[in-house]
Formats: sequence, C-alpha cells, structure tokens
Amino acid sequence: MKFHSFFLIKFRALIVVSCLFLSCAKDIDLSQRENISLTPDLQIDLLIYDIDQSQFNDPTTGNLKTRISDTVRLEFLDDDYIQNDLSSVDFYFRHINTFPREIVSKIRFLSESNVEQFTVNYTIQPGATGNPITTEENELIEEGRVDLVRRSIKMVVELEVQPGTTAFEGELDFASKGFFSFEF
Amino acid sequence: MMWRLICFFLLFSSAVVSQNKPLLFNVDDLPQTLMSNPGAQINFTGHIGIPLFSQIHLSAGSTGADLYDIFADDGTNINTRIQETMRNMNSRDYFAVNQQWEILSLGWKLDRKNYLSTGIYQEVDVFAYFPKDPAVLTNEGNSNYLNEPFYFDDVSFTGEILTVYHLGINHKFDKRLTVGARAKLYSGIFNAESTGNTGRFTTYTTPGGRNVYRHEVVDLDVLINTSGFAPLKDEEGMTVEQATAELLSRSFFGGNVGFGLDLGLSYILDEQFILSGSVQDLGAVFQRKEVENYRYFGAYETSGLEPLFPDLDENDEAIPYWDIFEDEIDRNLRDETTNQSYTTWRPIKANFAMEYGFGPAFLPCHYLSVKKVRYMNLLGMQLSGVKRPKGFVYALTAYWDRKINENQRFKIAYSLDDYSLTNIGLMYTRTFNKFNVYLAANNLLGFPNLAKAHSASIQLGMQLIFNK
Repeated sequence: MKFHSFFLIKFRALIVVSCLFLSCAKDIDLSQRENISLTPDLQIDLLIYDIDQSQFNDPTTGNLKTRISDTVRLEFLDDDYIQNDLSSVDFYFRHINTFPREIVSKIRFLSESNVEQFTVNYTIQPGATGNPITTEENELIEEGRVDLVRRSIKMVVELEVQPGTTAFEGELDFASKGFFSFEF
Repeated sequence: MMWRLICFFLLFSSAVVSQNKPLLFNVDDLPQTLMSNPGAQINFTGHIGIPLFSQIHLSAGSTGADLYDIFADDGTNINTRIQETMRNMNSRDYFAVNQQWEILSLGWKLDRKNYLSTGIYQEVDVFAYFPKDPAVLTNEGNSNYLNEPFYFDDVSFTGEILTVYHLGINHKFDKRLTVGARAKLYSGIFNAESTGNTGRFTTYTTPGGRNVYRHEVVDLDVLINTSGFAPLKDEEGMTVEQATAELLSRSFFGGNVGFGLDLGLSYILDEQFILSGSVQDLGAVFQRKEVENYRYFGAYETSGLEPLFPDLDENDEAIPYWDIFEDEIDRNLRDETTNQSYTTWRPIKANFAMEYGFGPAFLPCHYLSVKKVRYMNLLGMQLSGVKRPKGFVYALTAYWDRKINENQRFKIAYSLDDYSLTNIGLMYTRTFNKFNVYLAANNLLGFPNLAKAHSASIQLGMQLIFNK
C-alpha cells in the first residue's frame, strides 16, 4: 500500500512537471490559423498560333476568306480552384503581324451554353514583310467581374481581315497568357 | 597508445555522429543506458521496469521555424510571416518527432561477466525535410520565380510506427573492455516514405519564342511508399479514434517484420578516462503487407494550346484541343499505384563519448559486481548522429555527470545541434530503496516559452533496480 501510494504520488508529480513544461507557450495567438490563406499568383500560357495567308484561303472558291475563327475549350476553368478560389485574372494577348492590312481580333469567352461572358476586341496594326508590327492588349478581370471567368469554358479566337488594296501576304503570330491570382 | 586511441576516436566520431538521447547515455545507474549502448558499463545486477512507465520519451524539433515565427501575437499579418518564414528556410531544414514508449523492460546478471536485458517498446518516428520548392510554388505561385526551377527533389520524408522486441547481452570482456549487443525484432504498424525523388518544374520566359512562357517538367520521378495506410484510406468516414484503434490492433506481430542490431562498447583507457561508443538500429523492416506505392513520373513541356482554324461548317464539331492536350499530358506525365514490397532501413544512430572521472566513490560490495572504480563526477564529451535521408544529423554534447550520493544523481549537458546553440539539458534520477525514478529534459531554456523553442525533449520513467 505504501509502495502504491508512493508510486501514484511520484507519477502524478512527473505528469504535473511535464504538463507545466508543455503548457508554456507565450506571445502567440493560435486563433490566427483561421486567417491563414495561400495566395499563389500563376502565370499560365493559353493559346498560340502562327498562321500565314493560306489560312485565309477559301478552299472551295480559292478567294480570300476575310473572317476565320476557332474555338478552344479551357476545361480547367471549371475546376474547383477556379470556381472557389480565383480572385482575379489579367489576360495578355499579343499579335505580331507582317500582313499589310489591319485585322480585327475578337476574343470571346463563352459559357457551356455559348452565352458570351466577356469579349476582348482590338485591331491588329498592319505590318510588312521584314517589318513585323506588334499589337498588345491586356484585359484585367478583377474580383467584381471574376464570375465571368468562372462561367466561361470556351475561348473563341476570331480574325477579320479589313479591306485593302495591297496583296494579302504575310504571317500573324499570336501569343496569350493569363496571370491568375488565387486566395485559398 | 592512449592518445592514438583518442585520435582514432575523434577522427571516427567526426565522420559518423549525431543526436539521440544524450542525457541517458552512459548513466550507469539506469538500465536505459543499455538501450543506447548495449556495451555500457553498468552498476546494477537486475532491473524490472514498471510496465508502460519505465520509459516515456518524447521529442520534437524544427530547425527552420518555431511556433512564434508563424503565430506571433504582434499585430502583423500571419500570411506575411508564413511567407517570410518559408523564404528563410531551405530544403535541408527539417521537422522531426520521435516518441518511444517502453511497454516491458527487465534484465538480470547471468554471472559476473554477463548481463541479459530484454523488453518491448513502441516507437513513432517522423522525419520530414521542408519541401521548400513545392511549398513556395503552392504558396506564392510561379509569377515571382520565372526561369527558376522548382525542384521536386525537396520532397523527402519518412514516418513509421512500430513495436520493437529486443534481447541484449552486456559482456564484461576484461578489466578494461565491456562489449554488448542487442538483437531487435521489429513489428511495423505503419510506414510512409518518399526519398530520392527527382524532377523540376520551370516557367521560362521565351522572348522570340512561340508564347510568352514555356512551362517545362523535366525528369519527374516521385515515389511514395506506404504500408499499413491502404486499409485506413479505404475506410470512409473513419474517425481518428477508429484509425488509432486499428493501428494499435497491429501492435503485436500484426504488421511487417524486420530485424535489427545494436552494438556497443566501452573501454577504460586508464583509471579515469573511459571511451564508449555504440551504433543502434542496424536493421531494416521488410514492408510486405498492406503495401501501396504511388509513383508520378515523366517529362513534358508546353507553351499553350494551338488552334488550327479548320474549315468547319456550322454543324461540324470543333477540334477537341483540350482533350488532345490532356491525353498528351497523360501519356507524358504518368502516375501509377502499385503494391510492390519494399524495404525500409531504420535510422541508424551512432554515439561516441569520452569521459573523465574524478572524485572516487565506493560501490556496495557484491559478488556479481566487477566494476572496481567509480567516480562521483564525470566530465564528458559525446558526439551523436542519426542517419536521415539526406545524411547524418549531428549533435555534440558536453556534460557533467554528478553523483550526489548512492541514491541521487544528476547530469547537466550542453549540446550543439541543428536546433539551437543554447541547448542545456538536465537529468535527475533518484532511487528509493529499489524503486527508481528519473526525469530528463533537453533544451531547458526553451521550456519557459515553447513557442520560441526549436526543439523540446523529455524522458521519464520508473523501475525497480537491484544492485545486491
């Protein structure tokens, strides 16, 4: 009995000492854990193309096709991290043109049911062979409009050649990227 | 001859050293000293640990960050502090948690020269290097790190829970030399490891290239091995209590088996100088049951999707560029889950110590006791090391081991290690008749405010010790 009580007293003392040690954490506020967030900024390439006059040739008639377009699905726009945690996107579009005519670029973002969410329109300045002209365009979608990106799933690129008298020969390079900011 | 031995000892110990439980090393009154050096000089003829209470060991440490770095109550933004802390850490910083719980422990003198000890303990060991590049990529993204690779090599961790059954012999070879060995049978309960990974992700700026950037994953090969994890993963809605119960149910021969060996010696150079050294856990666990391996490998680069402007009618389907892109990624960046057995090496520990004794003491006379000389004071230096995936983790400890009387003893130690330059430890042991209790704690200066401590460690226990 004596041994038993001694054992208990000593063991309790050890536990108390241990707890005293382990409870000593000062000058911190663990409730701040609720404010922890990840805020990555990602630079992501989107679409590219590099086309010449053959792309504007109507195979049926052989004439100049003044308007061409294509649609690319951007499935990642439907992912959870976009739907829940995206805070802003800064799109960047760049054309390098050696065609000697203006070309109107329309970049449209559509929902699954092809409803236009937002569009970026600008005119690509004419260049010349050996004198490429660069046209750049930015579109900042901030928090108030970010739902437009969340609802989008398709990116439509459309080019419309403007009338002119010079021969339509040259190349058109397109580069695009998005600067996606998140808050998880 | 003596100086040659000292030089050899120092040279060897500078090559293979680090930190385990230095406060219990070479404490010849405590049976636990046989767990860190089976060839230690000992001063008892038998021991029986109080079941479940003969040794409780807890240690945790982080070399790069402490709680205060993250949760300081100073009015600044916590996310800014996290970002700064992550930037200040590097991929060799690590987090370590080790817990040992002795379930059974006993030993007795077989004759004047041999002491047999045996027991069971349960161990949890978690060691993870800070995965700096993946962590920075997740927290900050690639925007501020263009043209800088993010290395997946930084992902390196080991974690295991196991029960250890051991049997050791301590043999007094002659007046100077004592040697010992301990055989161990490991029963692995849970294991997860991922080491030796490769790969890098880079976002290059490409002036004159096809797009603004080029994203590149090169030489990716990340492997995560697990055993004992699959059944927990498959149980949907399993609570922490249920998972713990499931793990504990495998404690006794329920898991993967392994074998190991501890070796140790101590050598009296002259009456006052004693050298000792040991290696622990020379062994492996063969992970055969409930194994799942997750592997991610391959290489890929992209500058974006390329529309081809095909000549389509209104009713024609657009080219599925995204599906083609995803298929290409799946072909080049692959993942697979397999059930291949694997072997995990236990973290080998090495300890070397040199002691100088002064102030002679006298031992109680007993026919089984052969240790002739004892000192009230021991000044010592100990080098210790634990093998981790990226190399040994070292510690250098200087200590004063003071015997107050036959029943009380303390040891005060100062350690240099990866955690701090102010690591002061204290061990105190007291014996009441045959009942012994001991308490040891490292980094005492950190205990008043653990939030600012990079490490903390405590060992305590109680047992019956017989010396006549």
